Amino acid sequence: MNLLENILSWSTLTFLLILCGFVSVRKLYQFLPVFSIYCGILLLGTIAVWSAYVICGINSQISYYAYWCSILLNASARSLAIVELCRYGLRAYNGIWALIWRILAILSIFLLAHAVVDAWGQPSRLAIYGMTIDRDLAFASIVVVAALLLLRNYYGIVLEPLQRAVSLGICIICAVDAIGNTILRNLFTGYLYSWYLATQQALWPQMDSQVHYVRDLWSTIHLLFFMLSMGVWCFSLRHPLAARRAKPVLLPSEIYRELSPAINIRLASFNTRMVELLKP
Amino acid sequence: MNHIAVTIPVVLAVSVILFKLLYSRKDSSQLPRERDAPTIHERAMIDDVLPAPKHFRYFRQIRQALSPSDAEYLLRTAPKSVAKQALRERRAVARGFLKGLHEDFSNLSKLGRVIASLSPEISNRQEAERLNLTVKFQFLYAFVWMRLYTGNLPVEQIGRLTDVVSRLSARMDEAMAEISTQSVRNMAETLGG
Repeated sequence: MNLLENILSWSTLTFLLILCGFVSVRKLYQFLPVFSIYCGILLLGTIAVWSAYVICGINSQISYYAYWCSILLNASARSLAIVELCRYGLRAYNGIWALIWRILAILSIFLLAHAVVDAWGQPSRLAIYGMTIDRDLAFASIVVVAALLLLRNYYGIVLEPLQRAVSLGICIICAVDAIGNTILRNLFTGYLYSWYLATQQALWPQMDSQVHYVRDLWSTIHLLFFMLSMGVWCFSLRHPLAARRAKPVLLPSEIYRELSPAINIRLASFNTRMVELLKP
Repeated sequence: MNHIAVTIPVVLAVSVILFKLLYSRKDSSQLPRERDAPTIHERAMIDDVLPAPKHFRYFRQIRQALSPSDAEYLLRTAPKSVAKQALRERRAVARGFLKGLHEDFSNLSKLGRVIASLSPEISNRQEAERLNLTVKFQFLYAFVWMRLYTGNLPVEQIGRLTDVVSRLSARMDEAMAEISTQSVRNMAETLGG
């Protein structure tokens, strides 16, 4: 590993250790257990990949598999953390939760199906499979979090600061992953694909410096944003967590049954008059 | 390069929306803490979040100010420049009034959403209908506002909306009273049972 790779690896590891320290000290696992596990997986994955780099060399086959397996594991854990984020705080609102989880589930199934179909047609290389699935999962995560926030915003159920920070961090990681992987995937499957053919192997040593330059650039961008996300999470965990909110007291269902249609009729009459206003 | 051309702008756009949703709220930020409060406070909470329509109070004055007779009187008696200035101001008043109506519509729609969020069961059809009506209203509002701004809509027509809003405000008051009564009854039953 070169100096830049060492600096990036150490910084990431330091951030992850601080994050896991905060998770443990603040007992975040009592509030967001899956997200806490995700933080643990990030730390363990980073240590495992780093160990593979140090022991087997950064260009070895083991490092290659370790890296891509950790990427897919992280993406899966992140998806579960998003599911937990969707559920947290909303489940107490029985009525809208029944509606919201169905909307989010349909959206997720559609996006996951798209990810599977997208990865299915790719050339048989783990990097391209991994990149495609990671890209599509990142994109799906952003869309699901956006839908969640829109629905919460629509019903006026605001996120707590911690949930907000978790969402922001996940979105930063996902946005950078989605954009970066899209660019790389297009290069690998299009412009650069011929370079991987056996006939081109003789040219590889000449390309070495450029490959290293691109890899360093991508690693720097990716890890800087990754550390930014962890910084956001650590910042939100700097103070002890507030106690869990009491469950909201719901209104009797008759109120909704009586008032909701009446409100909709009024809203409709308002629209009718607006349309009349526009008539010549 | 199609993927890049599509994915990057979409991801950036969604990220901007996300950031906006996360950190630039003004209305709903007031909701949750009160919403977790005991039912007896629901009335106060809803009153805070959903102020009763206030624009209807001035409808009579506005209707009078926008009436054709006022305009005719102005054109007949005042100097041309003053009359023109006054008519321009009438349009500005009409736009402000329209904005007020938009606020009242939003409050009623928000009342519907607050009730839905606090209800143990909701109807998907009702929710979809309300969303549809709200989206439709936003388009109509934008269209009316544009026509008013460009002078293609006679200001007198705005007066037609006053009846609707007056009835709407009355219904909102009823709704508040119903929620309050039901909530108190519900709490009394809970404490008693």
